[in-house]
Amino acid sequence: MRNERQPRTLPASYADIEFENNAQRLPLVLCLDTSSSMTGPPIQTLNDALRSWTRELHDDVSLSYSVEVAVVTFGGQGVCAWRGAQPLPPQVPVSPFVPAHAFQAPVLGAAGVTLLTEALELAVRIVADRKAELRAGGLQYYRPQICLVTDGLPTDGTGRWTNAWQRLVPTLTDDQLARKYRLYAIGVGDISDMGEQVLKALAPAFNARLHGFPFRELLQMMSASANAEQRGAGDEVFEKIFAQFRTQRPAWEA
Amino acid sequence: MGDGARLVTAPTGQRVLLDGRRVTLGPQPLKGGGQAAVYPVADHRQIVVKLYREPPGAEQERRLERMLTLTPLGGRPIGPGQPPELAWPTAVARGAGGEFLGYAMRRFGEPGHVQLVGLFTRAQRLRLFPERTDWRFMLGVGWNLAFMTARMHYEGLVVGDFSSNNVVVDANGFVTFLDCDSIAFTDPATHEEFPCLMQTADYAAPERLAGGPATRQSDDFALAVLIYQLLTAGNHPFGGVPRDSESETTVKDNIAASRSYVAAPGCVIVPRGVVDPTILPPALLALARRAFGPGVTHPAARPQAQDWLRALDEERRLARVCPDRPRHSHGSHLTTCPWCARAAVTGHDVFNDTSPTGPNPSAASAASRQTKQMHLMQPVQPVHPTQQKRRQRRREQAGPPSRQAPTWLPDTGRPLALGLTILVAVLVLVIVVNLAQGH
Ligand SMILES: Nc1ncnc2c1ncn2[C@@H]1O[C@H](COP(=O)(O)OP(=O)(O)O)[C@@H](O)[C@H]1O
Repeated sequence: MRNERQPRTLPASYADIEFENNAQRLPLVLCLDTSSSMTGPPIQTLNDALRSWTRELHDDVSLSYSVEVAVVTFGGQGVCAWRGAQPLPPQVPVSPFVPAHAFQAPVLGAAGVTLLTEALELAVRIVADRKAELRAGGLQYYRPQICLVTDGLPTDGTGRWTNAWQRLVPTLTDDQLARKYRLYAIGVGDISDMGEQVLKALAPAFNARLHGFPFRELLQMMSASANAEQRGAGDEVFEKIFAQFRTQRPAWEA
Repeated sequence: MGDGARLVTAPTGQRVLLDGRRVTLGPQPLKGGGQAAVYPVADHRQIVVKLYREPPGAEQERRLERMLTLTPLGGRPIGPGQPPELAWPTAVARGAGGEFLGYAMRRFGEPGHVQLVGLFTRAQRLRLFPERTDWRFMLGVGWNLAFMTARMHYEGLVVGDFSSNNVVVDANGFVTFLDCDSIAFTDPATHEEFPCLMQTADYAAPERLAGGPATRQSDDFALAVLIYQLLTAGNHPFGGVPRDSESETTVKDNIAASRSYVAAPGCVIVPRGVVDPTILPPALLALARRAFGPGVTHPAARPQAQDWLRALDEERRLARVCPDRPRHSHGSHLTTCPWCARAAVTGHDVFNDTSPTGPNPSAASAASRQTKQMHLMQPVQPVHPTQQKRRQRRREQAGPPSRQAPTWLPDTGRPLALGLTILVAVLVLVIVVNLAQGH
């Protein structure tokens, strides 16, 4: 046997970064609302969409070369980062990012409160951590994408509506201006006018309020944007892709 | 409205006219790029239709119309089993009212054709390419790429948006360029100039990043990057981050700042696991250093496709096969297998899956050697007449015929036979023409 040698000499800090690939990376975070209002068909639709998107991602030779996916959910009692299909216990020093070709969609359930603020904070933090890890490995990255999806208003741990999200606005605004990541904030289902205002404040460039639960199209839009990022497209291309995504609403309602 | 409906799953796809004939597109695009989406065509598996997302405008329509009058690269390749090198437009696609929507072309889809980027990681190489895909194969693909580029330049075409996404490779290592509607060319009949308006940041020469036009030299830059990536199993020569660790640096930034560890070792913290540039045989490494050193800012200093072709040609005949591990081959300048050495140090084998769950590489490859050899033909990339003659001459002088494409098998007489056939055909033609003129 020639392949019996299986030394694990890889430094621990590199273990999360696929070794035989030093492509420039494109971190992508899906920050998803799994609170009780998503119960039933919506969460089902989301799970189905995640599954088929994962398949498409695996089949996409160029995206799976550099995209890395992490999932953050907010629902139940709090927020949770997922490493593929595995929920990560809080405070575990393991990166939730998985190379696209190895990504497995989590199966999500819906319950509990809407800790949107905390989830978005977590998403921003894992992106910053990932950048540091990649940089330490001499690896470059494209501008990361964070996609926030919700059907409601941010709440606190007891389920009461809260203004806490406002504390994020200054940082998010600065970060987006400094091109640290592209933040997409998408309202789905019966999101209220007030909910829409929250999304507009969080993500001035890329926010939308969509009817129904067009998760599939949403994920396809994320892929299209990732593709544009890989090409090195200008801002106007991302705006175009997003505008097209927004205007497709009528067709989905059918 | 019709625009918005395109991306949406519908029971049946859009109808378009190709040369006045009505065809129905598949409901979902094969894949949507930034400015267009490529659709399958119902009942015509061998073609696809590219539709622009936004009304493409008179300029683009004119370009397509003129492209349809041209048959670049002789239209069809010479070698048996070889796909065309260009996915050239075959018809303009129009709507019911005659409006210009896009164009049709031959389909170069998976599994037969895989984007070049699929060769740049082990996971995808093992999944998408034949069992025995090794460094010699990568070398051969590099040769074919240089060959394609040389031929295009010879005919006055500029690839323009040259990238690992716009080129596909088949199981024999033959390459095809996909995005022909972005090629820069001058119409030989009308002398109209059609510039290339697209680029991919990671392959764009600095002068293009600064807004300059696509030229042969900008192609030379992209070609050098692609060949380097092939020869190092996927490493980008402008990878790595500057030492000041706070800055966010992309490949594009390193290109713009002329920062390549290949030409200037030590200028960046190299990506962990980077393959040492000396994996390239000296002649090829010298070309790479020229391209990624002085060539970055001085376009004329970049090696041209012809230079790569010559250097790659030499190496193809000399490449060595490792006796110990499958899929290990390397340049003749190395006396021991660099891939084995690397696996010993890092625990990672660039070409074989060494994970505990992975297939047993030696067994798998032994099996494939038996089943695949019979099917694999000696692939032949078409040869330009002048080149054909030169190669022919060299072969006669140098003894063993040089290989013309990635070869899995020891050389057979096929290239020689093919060359002789062409020579005879040309002779006959000359005689016929002379006779005709004699009247
Ligand atoms: N002739 C073809 N056969 C099969 N697939 C193709 C063909 N041409 C393009 N494609 C696929 O369609 C995708 C979109 O193409 P294109 O619109 O040219 O992308 P972009 O504009 O982003 O370069 C490409 O990624 C390519 O893989």
